[in-house]
Amino acid sequence: MKSSPMKKWLKYLIPVFSILIALAAVISILVYYFGLISDNIESDGRHHLKEIYGQVNHSFSAFIDKNWGLLRGCNDYFAFFADSNAPSEEAEPYIKAYVDGRKEVWGFSKFYFLDKARNFVTSEGETGQLSLAASWDGVIASGRDIIASEEIGGQKFTMFAIAAQAGVYKDFSYEAIAISYTNTGIAAALNANAFDSSAKCFIISRDGSVLFTTFEGGGSYANYFTYLSNSLAAAGIGEKRQKEITTQISQDMEQILQGEAADGEGGYLQTPLGKSGDVHCIVYMPVGGGNYGDYGDYFLLSDVPQETVSKGFLSAQSATMWVMLSIFSIVGVAIIVLLVARIVNQSRRSKTELRYRERMFDVLSGSVDDIFIMLDPESERVDYLSPNVERLLGIKNETVKKSIREMAKCAVDRNIVVPKEELDAISMNGNKHWECEYMHQATGERRWYRVTIYHMDINRVKKYIVVMSDRTLEQQMNQKLQEALDAAKSANEAKSNFLSNMSHDIRTPMNAIVGFSVLLDRSADDPEKVREYTHKIMASSHHLLSLINDVLDMSKIESGKTSLNVGRFSLPELLEELGIILLPQAKAKEQEFSIHTQGTPPELLMGDKLRLNQILINLLSNAIKYTQVGGHIDFTISEVEASPQYSKLRFIVKDDGIGMSEEFQEKIFQPFSREKNSVVNSIQGTGLGMAITKNLVDLMGGIIQVESAPGKGSTFTVELSFALAEPDESGDTWYRQKITRLLVADDEEDICLNIREMMRETGVDVNYVTSGSAAVDATVRAHKEGNDFNVILLDWKMPGMDGVETARRIRKVVKDIPILVLTSYDWSEIEAEAREAGINAFMSKPFFTSTLWQTLKPLFPDSASPIPEPVAPSESVMEGRLFLVAEDNELNAEILTEMLDMEGARCELAANGKQALELFERSEAGHFDMILMDVQMPVMNGYEATKAIRACPHPDAQTIPIVAMTANTFAEDVQNAFDAGMDGHLAKPINMDAVRKTVAQLLHRNDSQENQ
Amino acid sequence: MKKQLCIAAAFLFAALSPLSLSACSTDPLPDPDKLNIMGKRSDLQKPYMTRIFQRYEESGQGELNIMAIEDAVYEAKAQDYFRKGKAPDIFLHFHNADLNSFDLGNTFAVLNGESWVDDLTDSAKAYCSDGNANIIGLPFWESSVSGCYYNKTLLKEKGFEASATQEDFNGLCAALADLGQVPICWPAQCSWMMQFGLDPVFADDPELLASLNRNETGLDEIPAVKNMVQWIADAAEKGWFGEDYLDTGWDDISGKLSSGEAAMTFIWDSWFYTDFKAGKYSIDDFALMPAFLNTVPEGTYEGGNLNMMMVNKNSAKCDEALAFLSFCATPENYNAAFEGIATVSCFKGLTSNIQSKMVTEAQASISRKERVSTASTKIVGYSADDLAVLLSDLFRHKYSTAECLRKMNENRIMHAQEQGAAGF
Repeated sequence: MKSSPMKKWLKYLIPVFSILIALAAVISILVYYFGLISDNIESDGRHHLKEIYGQVNHSFSAFIDKNWGLLRGCNDYFAFFADSNAPSEEAEPYIKAYVDGRKEVWGFSKFYFLDKARNFVTSEGETGQLSLAASWDGVIASGRDIIASEEIGGQKFTMFAIAAQAGVYKDFSYEAIAISYTNTGIAAALNANAFDSSAKCFIISRDGSVLFTTFEGGGSYANYFTYLSNSLAAAGIGEKRQKEITTQISQDMEQILQGEAADGEGGYLQTPLGKSGDVHCIVYMPVGGGNYGDYGDYFLLSDVPQETVSKGFLSAQSATMWVMLSIFSIVGVAIIVLLVARIVNQSRRSKTELRYRERMFDVLSGSVDDIFIMLDPESERVDYLSPNVERLLGIKNETVKKSIREMAKCAVDRNIVVPKEELDAISMNGNKHWECEYMHQATGERRWYRVTIYHMDINRVKKYIVVMSDRTLEQQMNQKLQEALDAAKSANEAKSNFLSNMSHDIRTPMNAIVGFSVLLDRSADDPEKVREYTHKIMASSHHLLSLINDVLDMSKIESGKTSLNVGRFSLPELLEELGIILLPQAKAKEQEFSIHTQGTPPELLMGDKLRLNQILINLLSNAIKYTQVGGHIDFTISEVEASPQYSKLRFIVKDDGIGMSEEFQEKIFQPFSREKNSVVNSIQGTGLGMAITKNLVDLMGGIIQVESAPGKGSTFTVELSFALAEPDESGDTWYRQKITRLLVADDEEDICLNIREMMRETGVDVNYVTSGSAAVDATVRAHKEGNDFNVILLDWKMPGMDGVETARRIRKVVKDIPILVLTSYDWSEIEAEAREAGINAFMSKPFFTSTLWQTLKPLFPDSASPIPEPVAPSESVMEGRLFLVAEDNELNAEILTEMLDMEGARCELAANGKQALELFERSEAGHFDMILMDVQMPVMNGYEATKAIRACPHPDAQTIPIVAMTANTFAEDVQNAFDAGMDGHLAKPINMDAVRKTVAQLLHRNDSQENQ
Repeated sequence: MKKQLCIAAAFLFAALSPLSLSACSTDPLPDPDKLNIMGKRSDLQKPYMTRIFQRYEESGQGELNIMAIEDAVYEAKAQDYFRKGKAPDIFLHFHNADLNSFDLGNTFAVLNGESWVDDLTDSAKAYCSDGNANIIGLPFWESSVSGCYYNKTLLKEKGFEASATQEDFNGLCAALADLGQVPICWPAQCSWMMQFGLDPVFADDPELLASLNRNETGLDEIPAVKNMVQWIADAAEKGWFGEDYLDTGWDDISGKLSSGEAAMTFIWDSWFYTDFKAGKYSIDDFALMPAFLNTVPEGTYEGGNLNMMMVNKNSAKCDEALAFLSFCATPENYNAAFEGIATVSCFKGLTSNIQSKMVTEAQASISRKERVSTASTKIVGYSADDLAVLLSDLFRHKYSTAECLRKMNENRIMHAQEQGAAGF
């Protein structure tokens, strides 16, 4: 409940009023006390001042009396000589000695003998005249003793003079004698330097003329009343008051001199004086006090600052006050100390308890993940904050203490702000709560809190207590459960989708196979129909097979069982193989397929060649597949990053085919994704190729990107890093082979430049021309100069004179220089014509130095390898061959037997590995041409059988080609086959083209070895 | 004359300007047929000088060749003339430290035996003495007495008299200040005041002066000098110089004295005839007392800086030159030359001049307390302007008193080194 403003004011007004009354009372008492003290001090000061200067006056009159006495004594002494009528010159030494003796005792300056005219002669014989002014009048006549101020030789003196018995001294007739004192001398004699140097003590005549002053440097004062008037004026006192004061003093003096005042009482007044306006006490009294008439009209006047006069009293008073104050202070302090000690004790006890509680609460809150805050609702000031905030939310306690709003920065959703109105609406002892996710500012860790605000009344003060209860575990558990549920749902959905997809994709070709098999059965008598249906069954079978391969491959990749088989491989070889595989496909669709290199990518790399091959074949075959007849496919390889150990290569496959929509590009790498349009639908595909490619790229740590637009083609970019492999040849290989000059002829200058750049490291001097005729000219010219090229490299398809024609003309000039043709095309069609024209070998684009070297090696006399004969798959290679076939499945064995038979080959069957081993061991040398080995077989599997065969003493054990023929088609399976000692791998179902190619390669290898 | 000291620094650069130097391009040469007199151009143009030259030539005793040298290059040129054998017969010089460069003993005639020597005042004799009781020149020059000129009327109005001692003077200043009266007009932009205080320190102790000039003693090591600087600093602090003393220059002094704003100042008598303009108070209201600058208790007066006529004893016309000096020192001639000139007399028989009442009244005191101008003329490397600048810095609390003294000495040494003085 709010108190009214009036009550608030009253709450403060009463104590303030009480304090003011107490303060006023104290001040009044002090004013009264100090007024009383001041009066007393002034009274005491006046009394004190008069007393002091009464003593000074007494001393001074005694001093005068003594001097006059001294002079009378002298007069008596001198009178003796005067009366005796002794000659002056006889008396002088005595008089001088007498005067000198008195001077020594009394300290006067000089002794004077004076005549009526004030002429003098001193005891030392100096002569002169004194002024002595009016005071001199009647001295001799009346016999009065006088005191006077006199300036002699620029210095001031105070003179004491008396009438003397007439006499003669130094021939000078005198009637008076005098002595003089300097001011300093008189001051010392008077001992009148009371009140330190702040008091000015004057001896003045009634008209104010200054006889002397004890004040330091006071020799300059001429008339006290003039000085007083000026000093009053300087203090700002008006002329009227100035006159009153000076008149008062003057009149007092006159009254005293007239005998109208009490004997020697003198006068006293206080007035501000001088520029500073400080109050001075002026006390004045006739010299001689009650006997003033004996000392002329001189007055002793003293001018003392009141502060100086009261100093002693004030210091005594203040000392008393200090003592009293000290006593009261000590008692007061003692009481306060006792009270404070008691309060402190109580407070300490309370604080200790509080500290214990706080400490316990801190420890407690520090060890839990809940946060506690106490807030002032009005000012939002943080009264308490549990110390675990920094640990839990990564925000400093001080920061939150400065502003509770800083906490909001930790909230994940900063829009969750509880309006102040809602907080104000919380009833007393009520609460409000909500849940909020917070993020640790340093680690990013997220926590869920249930925030509850309690509105409390603590000691009549409204407070909010905020409890942030950590619900992270609960939330995480819920989240995991949700995720698990979602995953289960997703998995179920995926499974359903997969099954649906598989069902559809498998049933489709199976439907064709089953359907055409039925039709085939019905039309067995019609050869045309049989051929047609058989062809369609085979097509559907191949599609089904590729679908199964992809599904299995995908399955293995997704299950994480795929591993990379890293080994040394040659990039040129890989590209050549790609060309071999893909060029025929592109050629079949009359597409222009070109492979380019940019820069000088490294040739020997460490990596999984098989997987890289798979990636690139997927991309390139898709490009060919989804590009219309006559389209263009560009395959570019470049090095984007290089270091001494690694190289990052970029593979770009660009086509001008049908392209893809943006929607499809987003899910192109998802399994079973195929664009749905009329063109695509007509092309067979599993929808798994790009998903496999993406997974393989990921597996190899690379990236794959796609840019595409419907109708404008697609560009796939793959970037992969490879470790560099050590080169085979040493740097001076080319030099040792005496290959120092190379002529390149290509209509594309970039290719020429690229070759020259790539050959730079070899030290071979590369000359290039951009046409066939120029190549001929260059060759002729070099020959005439006796500086033939060592190798000539010709592009096949150049405008004007093509490579073959160029070679033909060159051969008319030079016979024994190796001429190579560099081409992106399948050269099999022109191979015979080319060789006839004098071309020694073919090289596929892109150009690599290692490819050139490998191509050239057989052409040089000291080369270890003979010129390779091109190996072309041929049906005749199988004919007459005897195979040992290890196959446990009778159906498969029968199919293979039939197929081999169709190829003109024969076979001997073994039902397992052991039988195969036994058959081989029993056979004569050279009996079998090759072993086709199934892997998964009872008794002894294919790997064991292969190892046993390789280990047996049969003469052909080390040389007979053994080829795996298995349904285990993964890379590991291939590697396992080679590791077991096999020479090749053929996947089931049997593809006779692959069989023929593998057989041809292996038999050719063996034949070559035998020839050696 | 001392105004020249004040403004000398201001015009130093102008005097050294190429224009001035170019005026020397036609250097006067001694005439073998005439009596050659060399002096500064401005000095030789003084009315009493031109009068005596004219009077001499009109007397038919001979002809004069006046060799006027530009003021700014006088010392250097004169030395050049003597070195190259073109020395004049009579050479005018102010008898300052630069005169030592002329090999005194071998160059100039000792004049003790001349008849006119007894006619010189004591202070003039002292000024023209070489320090060994030898009179080396005839002081044919205007002179003045420097001291504390005070407004006696104002002091009387305030109830004071002149001070006889430093202690009295301090008391007077304190009492005046207490009455709200500015005691002293201290033109901080001018530079001559300190030399009044320094004169007795060195004039009374020639050995101390010699030690200072041999660079064996520093200005900052001399107690009396320290006392003086400290007194000046204290006086400024106590308000004895008023409020605006730092901005007070030559042109302000007259106004402050004639209006009664200030009661006293340290200056010379002829100033009252050349620069003082009467206001509330006239020249008759002023009197002279010693200058009290806390170096000697009795105070001091500074005698005038006199230009001496010296005879080149190596000259063929040495006798003729001596005769010229005697001509000048004849009462009839010097009275004719100085008629109406406001100056303190160097000759006892000079009556035609205007001698200030102030000096006359204080004559007894002057005769006891006057010192020859020593600081500015005899201290090697002395620079009044430097001291004025350093004092101003002291007033502004830029330096402590000790630092100010140290810098004064450093500057003196620097100037002495620039002059190539021995021992520096």
